[in-house]
Amino acid sequence: MEILITLIKIVGTLVWFLTLTLYLTWVERKESAVIQDRIGANRASILGIRAFGLFQPLADAVKMIFKQDFVPAFSDRILHSLAPFLSFFFVAVTITAVPFGDSLRIAGRTVALQVIDGSAGLIFILAMLSMGIYGILLGGWASRNRYSLLGGMRGAAQLISYEVALGFSLVGLVMVFPSLRLSDIVAFQGGLLFGFLPRWGVFLQPLGFALFFIAALAETKRVPFDLPEGESEIIGFFTEYGGLKWGLFMMTDFMEIIVMSALMTTLYFGGWQVPWLGPGGFHFPWGGEWPLPRGAVVALQVASFNIKVVFGCWLQILIRWTYPRLRYDQLMDLGWKILVPLGFANIGLTAVLIGVLS
Amino acid sequence: MCVVEIDGCPKLELACATAVKDGMDVRTGTDRGCEARRVVLEFLLAEHPLDCPVCDKAGECRLQDYYQDHGLFASRFNEAKTKRAKLVPIGKSLLLDRERCILCTRCVRFLEDITRTHELGVFERGNRSEVGTREDREVATNYAGNLVDLCPVGAITDREFRFSTRAWFLKRSASFCPLCGRGCEIWIDQHPGFARTVRSKRIYRVRPKENPRRNGPWMCAAGRRGFAVLDSHRIDQIFRIKDGRRTILTWDKGLHWAALKLEELSAKGHSGRIAVVLNSFLSNEELFLARRLFRDSLHVGSLAFLDPEPGIPDGFLLTSQRSSNRRGARELGFDPAPPDWDRIAETAELLLLFAHPLLDAAAKGPIEKAWNRVRTRILVTPRESGLEAGADVILPSALPAEKPGSWTNIDGSSSAFESALESPGEALAEWRILTGLARELRIDGMAGLESIGRVREDCLRMHPFFKVT
Amino acid sequence: MTVKDGARFAIEVLRGGLITARHFAVNMARHSLRAIGIRTRRTGAVTIQYPEARKQVPSRHRSLHRLLTRPDGRPRCVACMLCLTVCPSECISVEADEDPDPEIQKTPIRFEIDLSRCCFCGFCVEACPEDAIRMDTGILEWGRLGRDDLRIEIWPGPGPGRKI
Repeated sequence: MEILITLIKIVGTLVWFLTLTLYLTWVERKESAVIQDRIGANRASILGIRAFGLFQPLADAVKMIFKQDFVPAFSDRILHSLAPFLSFFFVAVTITAVPFGDSLRIAGRTVALQVIDGSAGLIFILAMLSMGIYGILLGGWASRNRYSLLGGMRGAAQLISYEVALGFSLVGLVMVFPSLRLSDIVAFQGGLLFGFLPRWGVFLQPLGFALFFIAALAETKRVPFDLPEGESEIIGFFTEYGGLKWGLFMMTDFMEIIVMSALMTTLYFGGWQVPWLGPGGFHFPWGGEWPLPRGAVVALQVASFNIKVVFGCWLQILIRWTYPRLRYDQLMDLGWKILVPLGFANIGLTAVLIGVLS
Repeated sequence: MCVVEIDGCPKLELACATAVKDGMDVRTGTDRGCEARRVVLEFLLAEHPLDCPVCDKAGECRLQDYYQDHGLFASRFNEAKTKRAKLVPIGKSLLLDRERCILCTRCVRFLEDITRTHELGVFERGNRSEVGTREDREVATNYAGNLVDLCPVGAITDREFRFSTRAWFLKRSASFCPLCGRGCEIWIDQHPGFARTVRSKRIYRVRPKENPRRNGPWMCAAGRRGFAVLDSHRIDQIFRIKDGRRTILTWDKGLHWAALKLEELSAKGHSGRIAVVLNSFLSNEELFLARRLFRDSLHVGSLAFLDPEPGIPDGFLLTSQRSSNRRGARELGFDPAPPDWDRIAETAELLLLFAHPLLDAAAKGPIEKAWNRVRTRILVTPRESGLEAGADVILPSALPAEKPGSWTNIDGSSSAFESALESPGEALAEWRILTGLARELRIDGMAGLESIGRVREDCLRMHPFFKVT
Repeated sequence: MTVKDGARFAIEVLRGGLITARHFAVNMARHSLRAIGIRTRRTGAVTIQYPEARKQVPSRHRSLHRLLTRPDGRPRCVACMLCLTVCPSECISVEADEDPDPEIQKTPIRFEIDLSRCCFCGFCVEACPEDAIRMDTGILEWGRLGRDDLRIEIWPGPGPGRKI
């Protein structure tokens, strides 16, 4: 029974994740179009129904699947095929640790809306995200194309650098939160600060959030941090890929956006928490209550989580369509000379504040 | 248009009609002279139609040149221009446009003074004067083509060239006419076509190049029309024909094959069974090489010359000899006699035939018998001669205008020329075929003759007669 | 980079983000209002949905060439080949012949343009002394699958496989 429930959760999470990924490509196209006074993809139609181009991701998927699976003669065939799947796998696996909502009580069972609630969930996510480097490096290496290899090396260097910054930005948070278990972190954020402000990570760690956000953007390796790929001029690590494998790399990119957004939501925006919503309904700090049934509360919480994640994605796409790419030295400067020292400062400041307040 | 100022003469004088005297002080560029020329030009242009866009002469028209030099004025002639006949056939594929005619009478004078055939004259008087044929006699002279060249405007045009292209597209290159013993110096006007436009022909016209010691500024109709024939039905691949099937060879293989057959016979001491037929369109250098190769080294059994039949001379430029270099062949010690086909048919096992560019199916009658009897037949030809089907190997050669060399004309004066045209495809000049054969046969004393300069040098050392003066 | 520079940098980064965010908000609002049937002064996008909607071709725009004709239907062109001469991409080829009218004298029997080379500079139009060639057809879609299909005869007219 436990296994069945876990299976259902895994499938449900993956369906949610992949659907969101697929439609994130549509969102990216449409959002960039709206930003630039265009219309965006609207030609894909089924039986003449265009539906704002909502079928475009399907058309893309069909096209990618039916494209020739081309492997260059000079490449390492096994590693070349392995790389995109590695990339894909390590990103896909992270989402299992993210809590979608409070636990449900169905037929006397308590079902957590989370696949794995590990005691070190945060570390698990960070670890899995670091593993994504292998996909990039292998992609560049197995192509046996010098430029792809350089792209892969650039990618690896960038990701490792920003992982340091990412880790430091989270240390302050870990100091504030009681646990590394993500469900505990979310539950902790249900409390109030100063009696009215939700106790969200972003209010507890504003500097930490800024550092985390920038580092997370770099981790997704999209514009303005897209040096590994550099589609318009410098050659990237998946130059030798086409069809479905290229599609996997591309999907990985979008999945990383969602993972980063979900992580941001979980750590800094209270996860599935809705401000002032307790298990029994709303308790407003200015007095007054609005009792709600349990089902409605869980629905609100799940909706809250989704809205926050989608907003996070929207914000990342907005950033991708706003800023020009950093130069490589600027990228390294930003990582090592600004984010890491500021991360240190944040840790010190947090330590001092915790000491003073306790 | 040629008025000049001469010191001592009160009026402007016509330069072309004034005898030169000692101590004469002639000024050509004075204001008075220029003004006079400008006025004359304005009169000439007053009635001249604005046909330039459709006129064949445009681009090489003297009137246009003078207008550039003196005029660039707007016309002050407001009256309607007189309409005249624009398309008068005056014979020999010539067309006369009376509107364009400026009545310089060059054509009339040419037919009176040079050809003395008097077909054209100026009729009527004053404003109504016009050039016309006398008593409806057509211009029938062999030199009618010169009228087109000497007409300063586009009044006389040639049907053949008319409207085919524009003068400024043509690239001219100097050459010599190969079609008779005179060896007139000519310009070949070619137009290679545009980047993606292949032209049906490349040579648009042949004009005389002034050479006072040979042809003056003239040339005959045979020379003008001949090139269209010469540059048609070209062969541009090396072929090996076996059992009626043609395969394409490279030069290395083709020459190797030919040399092998020659060597087979000469090594067995059967050089006498080799027959070589040359022609007198070959240059002195080529004949020189052929003599050393075939007579001095291989000692071939028969060495003869196949030339076009002699024609009727016209008493001016065209000679009875209808090839360019018979005199050169004689000076080199050849007897340019036609081959004895019966003897060749009986004795020869190998026939190497250097076909002349005018050899065609009509002329092959007597050759064919011998050609079909001989076992090994090597044909060197620039054009389809009608003998291809019976050949074992066909080596494409160049037209005279496509190679450097020298000729000695009927009067014994030698003239050197450079290649004026590109050979089509794989076609190669005969001197290169001969040096190639010598290389393959490893003939002593013929090594190192790899450039035409070396061949010329060697030839001149042994035959100073060919020195070009 | 000083702290001051860094702060200014951060502010500018934020301002940039706000500009795109504003574009997004305004355009999204226009799109949404129009979707529910409320007319806004401007549309959310400047896009013209090309094959269905078309922009007006400006009157001086240089599009596909055409040869003008005389009242009797024969071409105005006299095959003077000035267009050929002036053409920088050598894409025109003309064959001339005698015109039955001795006043006209010369007429094209074939007027071909290689669109794969043509750069639409319009020099041929300017060079023409007879105002015979113009580039005002407004035809912009002349793409073909093969290079040879791009050699179009504009006189004596579209031949087989050369429809325009």
